Amino acid sequence: MSVPPSGRVADESELTAGTRIEEGRRYGFFTDTTLCIGCKACEVACKEWNTLPADHVGLTGDSYDNTGALSATTWRHVAFVEQLGHDGDRPTTMPPWQSQWLMMSDVCKHCANAGCLDACPTGALFRTEFDTVVVQQDVCNGCGYCVPACPFGVVDLNEHDGKAHKCTLCYDRLKGGLEPACAKACPTDSIQFGELDDLHARARRRVDRLRAGGRSDAYLYGAPDGEGQPSPGATGGIGALNCFFLLTARPEVYNLPAAPSLPRTRIRPGLLHGLGTMAAIAAAALLAFATDRAG
Amino acid sequence: MDRLAARPPSYVGPTYYDRPVVKRPTYRWLIAGYFFVGGLAGAAGLLATVADLARADRRLVRAGRYVAAAGALASPALLVADLHTRWRWYNMLRIFRLTSPMSIGSWTLAAFGATSTAAAAAERVGAVRVARAAGIPAAALGAVMSVYTAVLASATSVPLWAAAPRVLPPLFGASATSTALAALTLATSTRNGAPARSALGRLGMAVSALELALAFALRRTLRQRGVGDALLHGPLARVHEVGAIGIGTLVPLGVHAATVLTGRPARRASLAAALATLVGGFVLRVTLVFGGRRSAERPREYFQLTQDAR
Repeated sequence: MSVPPSGRVADESELTAGTRIEEGRRYGFFTDTTLCIGCKACEVACKEWNTLPADHVGLTGDSYDNTGALSATTWRHVAFVEQLGHDGDRPTTMPPWQSQWLMMSDVCKHCANAGCLDACPTGALFRTEFDTVVVQQDVCNGCGYCVPACPFGVVDLNEHDGKAHKCTLCYDRLKGGLEPACAKACPTDSIQFGELDDLHARARRRVDRLRAGGRSDAYLYGAPDGEGQPSPGATGGIGALNCFFLLTARPEVYNLPAAPSLPRTRIRPGLLHGLGTMAAIAAAALLAFATDRAG
Repeated sequence: MDRLAARPPSYVGPTYYDRPVVKRPTYRWLIAGYFFVGGLAGAAGLLATVADLARADRRLVRAGRYVAAAGALASPALLVADLHTRWRWYNMLRIFRLTSPMSIGSWTLAAFGATSTAAAAAERVGAVRVARAAGIPAAALGAVMSVYTAVLASATSVPLWAAAPRVLPPLFGASATSTALAALTLATSTRNGAPARSALGRLGMAVSALELALAFALRRTLRQRGVGDALLHGPLARVHEVGAIGIGTLVPLGVHAATVLTGRPARRASLAAALATLVGGFVLRVTLVFGGRRSAERPREYFQLTQDAR
């Protein structure tokens, strides 16, 4: 394909990710942690495209993870897990595949049923035509309720501008037919952008291949497992994670909950029990005030 | 042995450098203050209308309406002050979303503010029928006001708040009622005669007993689910035990019991009991808000809560 005189390639995502971006279809990321080399190109590409400032310039002491966590100004976070020995013991032998590094580029999961979106009282958080979840900066008033609502600790308030921020799955790029910045920058295709059904099929094939090759511990986090059962991460009413992961250790190792639940499932029982109590109290009060008058 | 058995079944698996999994809520004193004031005002609105329907002393009804309106006017100030982009406060009324207790609460507070203020104003000018008409919706909205803040906390991923969605709202409701009764006791006792003192006293005793039982039910649930350690052990737990449970429920219960036993109502003692109830109700909200912040920082509590989907 030749580059048109305008310099803009229509549907560039078709060239770079093999996916045409169209409204009304569901898009997400498949992050294959077995391919991650911890280069943090995704973090840099995200910061550059979204003009996010640097934060925490320093060393944490937690392996090569000097980013720490997802935040209002960090929308990709590469986790580093060094699995060497147990309880501080250094190993004397190495397993046959030598490396016991686990690396994972974490990101907003763009949940099928999103706790942040449920919680937002202003409508700033909304679901886009690409089935992603985005905060409208011109609506958010910084009430902060989405922050503890998120089951994965993703969305965060920026103290400087007083708004909630998180990954937009490069909403502006999708609008222009471009693959999200992190996926495009990933040199090993650990981060794969695409249409969800396509990604699920690709991810299942990858798990099968890894298992056939001896990695019996490979599994998907946040994707339907094909038998109608929710996989880890997609539990408790969350349904599915549009950004899902291939992991080789239990979710907690990567700082992911095994069986999170959707916060809104607690509204109905809470209101019923609370209002039931108030009804009983009101009845008791009526009795007390009425008998008092009589006496 | 019992103590050992009662220790939480804490998560013992791996964590990621003990880093938090979920983000800590930003809520602090202003929100704890609103949980207290909004609940108190809501319950006062409910009690005023119940007293009105029971044809209780008019001074009691009037005091209830005034307390409800005052709390309903103070509440938005606390909430707007806590926003990080305050001048956009009106976006709270931009949509109505049933999946968001914050949205439910914003509309409830707006409607409660309108109806309770109308009822208080009508009461002030002696338009009893108007006050009654506005008081009925204010009572229903007041009941929601006194419990929804606990639902709001439960519908998050904060382990301490999310662990007991069936206990926290009744506890907030009981505490809202006991603090409202205390406020009414103080408001009506300053006048001669102290109308409906015995009704307020008996009702206060029952509600404080309920609050005490629910406070222990919360502790039991937290232990069973292995979360909310900040409310069970350590300095914040001491503040909760002494302030919310001791001062907030045991002191007023003791005073009420002494009044019943001696057979003569002691004015000073009942005022002291009312003050203790108010202090305890505030401490309850403060320790729950700050305890929630602590529990969100602890990955083991969240991993414990999310071992099995519920």
